[in-house]
Amino acid sequence: MSAAVSSRLGRSARRVTAAGPRPVALAAAIIIILPIAALVVLAGSGDFAYLRHLADTRLLAYVRNSVTLGVLVTAGTCLTAVPAAWLTARYRFPGRAFFSWALALPLAAPAYVTAYAYASLTTAGGPVYEASNGLVPAVRGMGGAAFIFTLALYPYVYLLARQAFVSQAAHAFDAARTLGAGPMESFWRIGLPLARPAIAAGVALAVMETLADYGAVEFLGAPTLTAGIIRAWTSFGEAETAARLSLILLLATCFAFAFERGVRQGRGFAQSSGRDRPNERVPLSLRGAGIAILFCSLLLGLALIVPAGRLIWLAFDTPGVRSPVPALLNTIQLASMSAVIAVLIGLGSAYAIRTGGWLSVTAARAAQTGYAIPGAVAAVGVLALLGFLQRVLDGGLGSAAPVVTGGSLIALLFAYQSRFAAAAIGPAEAALTNVSASLDAAAQTLGAGPGRIIRRIHLPLISGGLGAAGLIVFVEVMKELPATMILRPFDFETLAIMAHNYAADERLAQAALPSLMLIGLGLPAMIAVSWLATHNRKRRTAR
Amino acid sequence: MRISIKSLAAAGACLAAAACGQSVDEDSTETLTIYSARHYDSDRAVYQAFEDQTGIQIETIEAGGDLLIERMKADGERSGADVVITVDAGRLWRAEQDGLFQPYDSEIIEERVPESLRHPEGKWFGFAKRARVIAYSQERVSPDEITGYETLADPKWDNRVCVRSSGNIYNISLLAALIERWGDNVAQDWAQGVVRNFARVPSGGDIEQIRAIAAGECDLALVNHYYYARIANSEDAADQEVADAVALNFPEDNGGVHVNISGAGVAANADNVDAAHQFLEFLLSDEAQRMFAELTNEYPVVASAPYENDVLDGFGEFEADPVNVNTLGENQAEAQRMFDRVGWP
Repeated sequence: MSAAVSSRLGRSARRVTAAGPRPVALAAAIIIILPIAALVVLAGSGDFAYLRHLADTRLLAYVRNSVTLGVLVTAGTCLTAVPAAWLTARYRFPGRAFFSWALALPLAAPAYVTAYAYASLTTAGGPVYEASNGLVPAVRGMGGAAFIFTLALYPYVYLLARQAFVSQAAHAFDAARTLGAGPMESFWRIGLPLARPAIAAGVALAVMETLADYGAVEFLGAPTLTAGIIRAWTSFGEAETAARLSLILLLATCFAFAFERGVRQGRGFAQSSGRDRPNERVPLSLRGAGIAILFCSLLLGLALIVPAGRLIWLAFDTPGVRSPVPALLNTIQLASMSAVIAVLIGLGSAYAIRTGGWLSVTAARAAQTGYAIPGAVAAVGVLALLGFLQRVLDGGLGSAAPVVTGGSLIALLFAYQSRFAAAAIGPAEAALTNVSASLDAAAQTLGAGPGRIIRRIHLPLISGGLGAAGLIVFVEVMKELPATMILRPFDFETLAIMAHNYAADERLAQAALPSLMLIGLGLPAMIAVSWLATHNRKRRTAR
Repeated sequence: MRISIKSLAAAGACLAAAACGQSVDEDSTETLTIYSARHYDSDRAVYQAFEDQTGIQIETIEAGGDLLIERMKADGERSGADVVITVDAGRLWRAEQDGLFQPYDSEIIEERVPESLRHPEGKWFGFAKRARVIAYSQERVSPDEITGYETLADPKWDNRVCVRSSGNIYNISLLAALIERWGDNVAQDWAQGVVRNFARVPSGGDIEQIRAIAAGECDLALVNHYYYARIANSEDAADQEVADAVALNFPEDNGGVHVNISGAGVAANADNVDAAHQFLEFLLSDEAQRMFAELTNEYPVVASAPYENDVLDGFGEFEADPVNVNTLGENQAEAQRMFDRVGWP
């Protein structure tokens, strides 16, 4: 095995941690996929009249828009996030430390909020429209949607890619330099291939969220298949058709990522650590630093400063808004609880995938698919499931049975996991991929059991990745709307609900304050992740 | 960073315990549970007034009408809802089809709500009205060029009409009413004509269409009256400019102005039917009716209810479409199919 790049994981090494958290992962995965199972049952009922109508009229356009948007967002997030991650992970330039955490911040702004802000700037009557005499195109339609989703979702790719670049060992790059490779070549031939699982995981999250989004595409006039799904439900009252279309969307998304995984298969890389030393950041020339600063500032400016600035402007202009403090506290409570649970599930599932076995792999993969279902439909799946559970409980216990269909935090936390566990499983898996199987083997030779291997070797190596996973779930739950709306306890509000309610009523100015608080809440979380990543590095230096 | 599995598990257990411990406190005061698709801050003022008057505590869940319907279906007999409120007759119709309402024969309702704005069997009624009307540019359009909803489909207005997407319930309800008025073929030709006249891809809400007229992007738009009233009642100078540049035409000719409702009914499995009845009648009191007119710029359904709102007064009286709003629900699915067929995004 060469110094840094080793062969794919060997079969014997896979079995090492088999006794670990696998049963936990299985149980978690099964609980998580139950709402999807409920959707499958729902999809089996009802007739096909609306589907036929849709096939005759707009299905093709919906699908075309979904595919186009998926491709554009893939390209957009890769072209912005990967260079930004590479620059901040591998080079030294003024402001690097700031950009390295700040570039993740736009994740705190919901796509629909960014869309509202840009629309109010660029459409007729907005300041940009006025200043440019209508020359700057309004942010709307397919182009506008691709622009908004790229800005709102590139941090997924950035966070995961950066984590991967930072944890890449120096040996490979040294070797490349010795062989005469320039900086570009070492990026294309070493940095990028090694980071590919992480980048793919990030793109998967960004694209799934794009395809499942309703609020922003409806507002911007870029109807994707999800628009058709929601219409099946809102205009025809056919939750069954909506469930059916959602499953089609879900299958298509699964195929896309299974294809990516298939292409990647056989090119899995793990790094052996051993006497590794951390990667020194390369100082950039004056011109290089200028370009790096310009690129990072432009990205951060467009994704966060412009929309947040517009919101601040609107918020200052607005009299009398209800106090958002109770909503803020509720949001913090829900998001932090969900993050902890998701990290545990993500970790378990990642191990299940690593240790193999078709059952655990299938279960973990199925748990990930929840992410590709539009939030409103996923909420219906949870409701259907809880309704079924309620009838079972009522049958057994009569009126003594507790009410489970709504109004409890448990139901809400359950719904969040079924939808967002993917956001933790992907990153946890990506982090674990970077841990060489030979480490396990070495530890085993020295008499360490699976628990000890996980505690002493894996956790320290992957805690940065896990931190990112927890953060992503925290932010996702913070922004989540449909499930929160329908399953929340009475008189229980979150920042996202407050912002959405105002915006839906076309009171953008009043939506500005809760939206800003959402962004503000993401800030400490992002700083924590950044700290995790640097701390990780320092520890490895010390070793 | 050292994260031990034990400490993570302990943290998880604590959180789970906190979640379980969070049960609703049972107290002795009487409560009324409202599932509402309205989420205006002003509704809180209405609830507050009811609480002050009766001593009954109100608890609410606010969510989209479709989500509320699904929640009630899942709740089944264990439903916590006493009163259901939506902002569209189509949703009320669907909730009624799903058996989620129980009838309430009330003299007050029959006396104060016009027959066209309530369910034939007393399952629900409208308590506030919204008119979908034509906004036009004061500068480029003369009011007598507008002769009803037909105008929007007239080839003369090619590339001059702005409308939001057809997924929007206000557009769906309008077309549902036009289907009733003109029949399927004429209604579909109308929708086709409007699509041909689009000045741009439908995007944004009603307020954005009004601003687009002021900015010169288009000359005509379909909007709900209260969005314009909100701009006109704003103290912001830029809003005033928009309000000055745009006016509303209430298309009375050939069938009357399309009116939709905010409506309410008693939930089928309501626990507190008496309080629900009290609340429904409170919605029709002069006090509540005034709040709708003054705080959300909606039209009261009670003709005699007094209120002060200069902008609403400025619109003047209008002839409403006499069709029963229940029909909007019946024709809703056909309206959406029609939008799909003519390619109204």
